[in-house]
Amino acid sequence: MRGRPLLRTSYAEELALLDTPAKRGWTAALLVLALALPFLLTDDLLQLLAVCCVAAIGAIGLGLVTGYAGQVSLGHAFFLGIGAYTAAALSGDPDGRVIGLGVTDIALWLPAAGLVAAVAGVLVAPLATRLRGLYLAIVTLGLVFIGQHIFNEWSSLTGGAGVGRPAATLEFLGRPLAVTDEIATRDQKLYWLMLVLLLVFALAARNLARSRIGRAFTAIRDRDIAAGVIGVNLPRYKTIAFAVSSFYAGCAGALLYTVTGFFDPGSFSLLLSVQYIAMVLIGGAGTISGAIAGAFFITLLPRLTRELQAWVPFISTQPNEVPNVFQVETILYGVLIIVFLIFEPRGLFGLWIRARTYWKAWPFSY
Amino acid sequence: MTTTTAPSGATAADTAGAAATTIASRVRDRARATPDRVAMREKVRGVWSELSWASYWDTVTTVAHGLLSLGVRPGDRVAVLAENRREWLWTDVAAVAVRGATVGLYPTNPAGEIAYLLAHSGARVLVAEDQEQVDKVLDVIDDCPDLEHVVYLEPRGVRGRYSHRALLHWDDFLALGTAHRVAHPGAVDDLMAAAADTDLATLIYTSGTTGRPKGAMLTNANVDFAVRTVTDGAGLADPPPGPGDLILSYLPLCHVAERVFTTWSNAGAGMQVNFAESIATVPANLREVQPTLLFGVPRIWEKILATVTTRIATASPLKRAVARFWLRVSDRIGARLVATGGRHTPATRLAYAIGWLFCYRALRERIGMRRVRYAASGAAPIAPEVLRFFMGIGVPMHEVYGMTENSAVATGNHPGRVKLGTVGEPQPGVELRIDEATGEILTRSPGVFAGYRDDPAATAAVLEPDGWLHTGDVGEWVDGTHVRITGRAKDIMITAGGKNIGPAGIENELKASPYVKEAVLIGDRRPYLVALIGIEPDTVGQWAQARRLAYTTYRDLTTKPEVVELVRTVVDEVNRRHPPVEQVKRFRLLPKELDQDDGELTATQKVRREAVTRAFADLVDDLYGPGGDR
Repeated sequence: MRGRPLLRTSYAEELALLDTPAKRGWTAALLVLALALPFLLTDDLLQLLAVCCVAAIGAIGLGLVTGYAGQVSLGHAFFLGIGAYTAAALSGDPDGRVIGLGVTDIALWLPAAGLVAAVAGVLVAPLATRLRGLYLAIVTLGLVFIGQHIFNEWSSLTGGAGVGRPAATLEFLGRPLAVTDEIATRDQKLYWLMLVLLLVFALAARNLARSRIGRAFTAIRDRDIAAGVIGVNLPRYKTIAFAVSSFYAGCAGALLYTVTGFFDPGSFSLLLSVQYIAMVLIGGAGTISGAIAGAFFITLLPRLTRELQAWVPFISTQPNEVPNVFQVETILYGVLIIVFLIFEPRGLFGLWIRARTYWKAWPFSY
Repeated sequence: MTTTTAPSGATAADTAGAAATTIASRVRDRARATPDRVAMREKVRGVWSELSWASYWDTVTTVAHGLLSLGVRPGDRVAVLAENRREWLWTDVAAVAVRGATVGLYPTNPAGEIAYLLAHSGARVLVAEDQEQVDKVLDVIDDCPDLEHVVYLEPRGVRGRYSHRALLHWDDFLALGTAHRVAHPGAVDDLMAAAADTDLATLIYTSGTTGRPKGAMLTNANVDFAVRTVTDGAGLADPPPGPGDLILSYLPLCHVAERVFTTWSNAGAGMQVNFAESIATVPANLREVQPTLLFGVPRIWEKILATVTTRIATASPLKRAVARFWLRVSDRIGARLVATGGRHTPATRLAYAIGWLFCYRALRERIGMRRVRYAASGAAPIAPEVLRFFMGIGVPMHEVYGMTENSAVATGNHPGRVKLGTVGEPQPGVELRIDEATGEILTRSPGVFAGYRDDPAATAAVLEPDGWLHTGDVGEWVDGTHVRITGRAKDIMITAGGKNIGPAGIENELKASPYVKEAVLIGDRRPYLVALIGIEPDTVGQWAQARRLAYTTYRDLTTKPEVVELVRTVVDEVNRRHPPVEQVKRFRLLPKELDQDDGELTATQKVRREAVTRAFADLVDDLYGPGGDR
């Protein structure tokens, strides 16, 4: 009811994404700030933030299968790779050195990348319906190695190990989307584009999560046997989880390398999978906002460690000296995962929840 | 949007000249004037499901037809044994519509009392909530010769398992009503048109702190007077209650106060009634509903105050410091408001505005009183400190006074003219005098009841032929306008020293402490005052935990010397405010919580003084014995 956010007279009110005036206000403010950032930051930072947005789409996808449905997947890099190569192959130059079909419109190659990855996800899903926990993690780990082998050997598609190929072309209805002109620079446009796409994907995921499907996911995560007993069709929902997650990964993969313009098959290693797992865990498993926060945090981490070097002079920027920033970065990944799992398993989102409950309970403690 | 707009409902009444305004006719008129506005909400499967005025009246009509088809005739009684819920109001209004009368029974009543009430009231139809209530009724149904039908609301455990011929499920009952409605479309309208002011509208049984409950008969005229007083501007809240106001209905509807507040003023002023899920969920429901008008009995206000105190005590240091600071400020604001009668001065307004940002807004939100514009305490005496706390944090608190026998309308504090420690000024239309010899308060008004059912002797004892009602309360005038109640006439204690003492005041000062739940003063014809004190298990338990004091049960807790010491500080604090003869010299902690099933409390949770002194006679003897000063 108006003015009484807790007096809910329908389930729709109860499920509303922005159910309190405070949430509506803050979301609007955050959105305005995000859209205004290109006028406040330099282009190199904007480029990084554009990558963050894309990574966030991928992290949301992994969050759906791992955070919501509780199916640990280490194979995210594989699905990212499938998406990246599908998009690149579709939009590539037909006369080039590698496979290219010349379909340069983002409206075509982006869904196609997602769908191909989703199909791959559906193919993998039967494994997930039979395996649980550690076994599932190891099987999905196998996917990464198979994928890496194929990407390395299939050089007519990928350009081969150490060589690579150009990424998908950003064009919409025949007009290039990311070219510097008198209105805005390439990086500003890139950032806006990725931000809008992130919003679309995040909203879709939030809607999925609060629907019947989302509730089935959480039921499976909390206890799959119990979920089965109360009528959740386990094979069906696990398949949906993998399909949707892979769709997100495919789209993220397709967009990820358009920012730099070039990529090589070595990118889709286990390290990439682990990075995405880290995003979900550090951000907060089982929440969309957490996945976004985690993706931004992990993607900005290298930049942060480099800034750190100014304060801690004994860390070198040269890769051949010890200790150097790259080592610090790798160590930080590990340390952060350990610290979060022990002290705040709900991740960055958990920190936010803590802050919020502190004020929500004011002047009491609970 | 208030009450006395009778003409719109006059169409059906034309045939019989002037039909009396009843609860039913008010609901009908409101359903015609504002069919789509929300009349009430009840939580169904987690969401507050809304009921419009049109559907309220439609269901009432069906229920009324159902009652007719069960054979209810004008003058018959219909009993309800259920928690506050929609069916209560439907049945209540429908019974009045067919010129019957409603009898409310407390769901907590044990079977024996139910048998007495059903037999004494002669109810023909009983609406029982669930299996628990049906079980109690079936146990004693042979002692209730007039009872013909038991309509149950919750089929779980009853339908398909019990096969008593009197049982009828609510849905089947509604089907009967629908069929009757089709067959006799004008039956209810005709009965309503024939309604008279002198028709019995409801039979309300007094709580009976002494002896058997007595059935007070209230007529349509009595009810109408109460409705007009409560919903007119001069009566209670200012501006008067209207369709924009929300209330939470949580106290038993069998009690006259909640009836006035829920059913009657809902029909009279159109405010939205929200039913609490149960008495245990009241804090949560208050937070959800955030009512604008709130009525509570002292026990509720004391409990909320105790909760606030303990929850602040257990908050993190920063929060605790901030909250304590602002509560000290609110104490001063409260004291200032007491002096001005509830009107802010610029200084208190400024202090409150700053405190609102830091504490009061959030605090009121947590306890569900953010939007309360008028709060009232009644039905029993309350300690002024409790009221002052609520005034200080910005809840406009008013003590009101009334009893079943005068339709709960006698006196009330009015916004801006509050005198703490008094029950306010006589309501408009109420004559009030104080007997010079005995100090007893007498009232006369159109709200004074028609008498006790089947008890002319008891009626004659309280009702004089010229309409004056003996309230049984002893009081005095304050500044010639306000009335202060000093105690119940029959509770007055005369100590061996010859001093008259009203125990209620001292008991309430004790109960104002968060650690004290019950206090029973003893001292009639005794050398000095002593007290039996029941501790509040939640707060004392928390206090004990904070001191790492191990305990197992309630009884164990009361035997801890530390707990006795804690209560002693409370007693000493109260004693300091009184002259020596009015001081509690010794006390003992009650070894168990008082309970209705043991006959120690009435259904309204009032202490039955004699029952308690009898049950704990050993403690009392001990208190006056040589080793009493333990």
